[in-house]
Amino acid sequence: MSVTGAALAAEAAARDAAPRRRAGPWRRRPTASFRWMVAPALAFACAMIVLPFGWAAWLSLQESVIGGAPRFIGLDNYRRLLADAEFWNGFRLTLLLWLLSLAVQLVAGTWLGLLLARVEVARGLVRTVLVSPFMLPPVVIGMMAIVILDPGLGVANWLLAQAGLGPLLFLADPGTVMITVALLDSWQWTPFVALIVLGGYLSLPRDVFEAAEIDGASASQRFRRITLPLLAPTLVTAAVLRSVDLLRFFDVIYITTQGGPGNASTTLNILAYRRGFEFFEFGYAAALMVTLSAIVFGTVLAFAKLRRAAAW
Amino acid sequence: MRRSFLAGAAALAAAALLGPAAQAQDFNWRQQDGRTITLLLNNHPWSQAMREMAADFTARTGIRVRIEIFNEEQFRARLTTLMQGRSPEVDVFMSLPSREGAVFKRAGWYTDLAPLIADRRLTAPDFDYEDFGEGMRRQATIDGLVATLPINQEGPLFYWRRDIFARCGIEEPRHLEDIPVAAQRLRACDANQGVWAARGLRGAVNYGMSGFVFNLGGSYATPDGRPGLCQPATIRGIEMYANLLKDFGPPGALNHTFTQVIELLGQGRIAMTHESSNEFANIMRFPGRAQDIGVKVLPPSRETGISRPLVIGWGLAVSAHSRQRDAAWLFLQWATGTEVQTRLVQNGVAPPRASVFQGPAFNAWAEELPVRRAWAQSLIEIGRTGTGIYQSPTDRVPEARDLIGNAMQQVVLGRASARDAACAADPELARLQ
Repeated sequence: MSVTGAALAAEAAARDAAPRRRAGPWRRRPTASFRWMVAPALAFACAMIVLPFGWAAWLSLQESVIGGAPRFIGLDNYRRLLADAEFWNGFRLTLLLWLLSLAVQLVAGTWLGLLLARVEVARGLVRTVLVSPFMLPPVVIGMMAIVILDPGLGVANWLLAQAGLGPLLFLADPGTVMITVALLDSWQWTPFVALIVLGGYLSLPRDVFEAAEIDGASASQRFRRITLPLLAPTLVTAAVLRSVDLLRFFDVIYITTQGGPGNASTTLNILAYRRGFEFFEFGYAAALMVTLSAIVFGTVLAFAKLRRAAAW
Repeated sequence: MRRSFLAGAAALAAAALLGPAAQAQDFNWRQQDGRTITLLLNNHPWSQAMREMAADFTARTGIRVRIEIFNEEQFRARLTTLMQGRSPEVDVFMSLPSREGAVFKRAGWYTDLAPLIADRRLTAPDFDYEDFGEGMRRQATIDGLVATLPINQEGPLFYWRRDIFARCGIEEPRHLEDIPVAAQRLRACDANQGVWAARGLRGAVNYGMSGFVFNLGGSYATPDGRPGLCQPATIRGIEMYANLLKDFGPPGALNHTFTQVIELLGQGRIAMTHESSNEFANIMRFPGRAQDIGVKVLPPSRETGISRPLVIGWGLAVSAHSRQRDAAWLFLQWATGTEVQTRLVQNGVAPPRASVFQGPAFNAWAEELPVRRAWAQSLIEIGRTGTGIYQSPTDRVPEARDLIGNAMQQVVLGRASARDAACAADPELARLQ
């Protein structure tokens, strides 16, 4: 996700928080010229999204391995997937990473966003510094993690040793690898959530807060009863954006552990990649990716419903 | 009359003697002048050297060269994507026939080089295919199709720090069984000195571990050609490798491949490893290592007397989808020719050509340092006795190696005994047959 994406997301958050307008008549009856103007965008979306996805879905119904002619096998790849322990392991890890990272990022991002709203000095500089982690390419994050967190060669354990702690295995221990990955992702993307929260918070009506203060509500009460409910649509937007990224999380895991140790970080995306590009089972890899896409799509739909429920 | 016959005979003799050289001079290296070829290469000392030398090829042929170098995983992903899409974007690619040869051949990705070698118009007269070692040619030929031209030969070698062994009064390991004993004594001698490192990453384990399995008399296949991890000697090999990693390896060893292992050895943090001969030049770049490192083939087992190392070789293939086949073939000839291979020795690339290996330039380079001589002798030995097959019988080689590596990891993680992990892997390996 880019900085432009962050700006758009902040804008979307502000839009979510703004009072609803009734749609004008031009929305109900598009003109012919409007249709022509939209047509290229629709054609582009079809070519870039619908066709590749349709092809992947078609591929998932075939036994397609390198060097062999593809053979239609119906839903066999999906039956195999349901009986595959590696799939269920990947599914569990994907959900674990999603829940863990999302929780950390929403909590820490809300705190940071509200803190930023109160920063008066060097506001531009502070925001620029915060933006920098999510400007870094994932490969850089992965390489940094390897250098810093390697239990033998990395600086993290050296620092822990100076404090009389550790050593920790971080990415090399099946018990800590997913927590480490979740923290790495949270380090990179919490500022993004914070900027969304900041955008949403600044667009909230001030008079509600002032009224609460005059009525003698404590800071904690104002946060629980006013700030959080009003920010709910913004937080759901942030959750949707981060969920899509987290459910298809790939780069950092592949660079740092390649799914190991053992299968301890083989999420669905990593599993699909290995099946496709390392073991050349394109049909099965497509079935995995279609399933993952369905999970992502389902999550987005669920959040869309939640957003409608949280709207005010 | 007699004088003219003698003159004619002398001319024929001279032509016979000078023929190949004269013909070589006549060969038209510029027949594809103005074309551009694209190389897709794995990150390897050979590839890095080629980046600097490709300009010489352009100067000789007029063919421009575009080089793409990726780390191995990314290299394979890009190659698969392009070749599966029948893209003509890549003309020449690196390939490891012992790993992927059968699958790539079945997919029709290789151009058969045999007709090109035999074509007098396209092949320089001084290009001697027989000069590649027989084992290398055998590995590069799949069911009669000459898939690649060898660019190096390599295999895992045993590296140890002679100075640390001397300081601790420990003998150089003469047998495989001496390695765990030496590890124990090194630990007792200096608790702050790292002892051992080797590949622990699942897909990379087999490269380092197979020497242990083979030397102890093990095999990945049963005599009737089925997966054979659950054989006593194979289990012992897996157990020895896993225990060395578990008891004496660095923390986080299961995420390590050659990059971390070489870094640990180069920085002086470990005293022993079993790592690729390819990394020799990189190890020597670390200060002091040229003086204190010893290198040799993994020692034979005391019990079995067997020494059966691995030897593999990367090769260069011409893509079957290339539209620049002839220009690509000229590149292959140049890049695998005697002249270029002689220069590549300086970059630590072990030459697959016998004439270069036994030539004066290589010998002069090797004689400059004892460790270089030891390295060269080890390469000769693995070339003579090594095998390129180090997984259970299947053509789904990467998957089989992954399963075997996973069995070893289970032992290191303490989730299974070597016997349980090995025996559990066999049915899964059987599904790949």
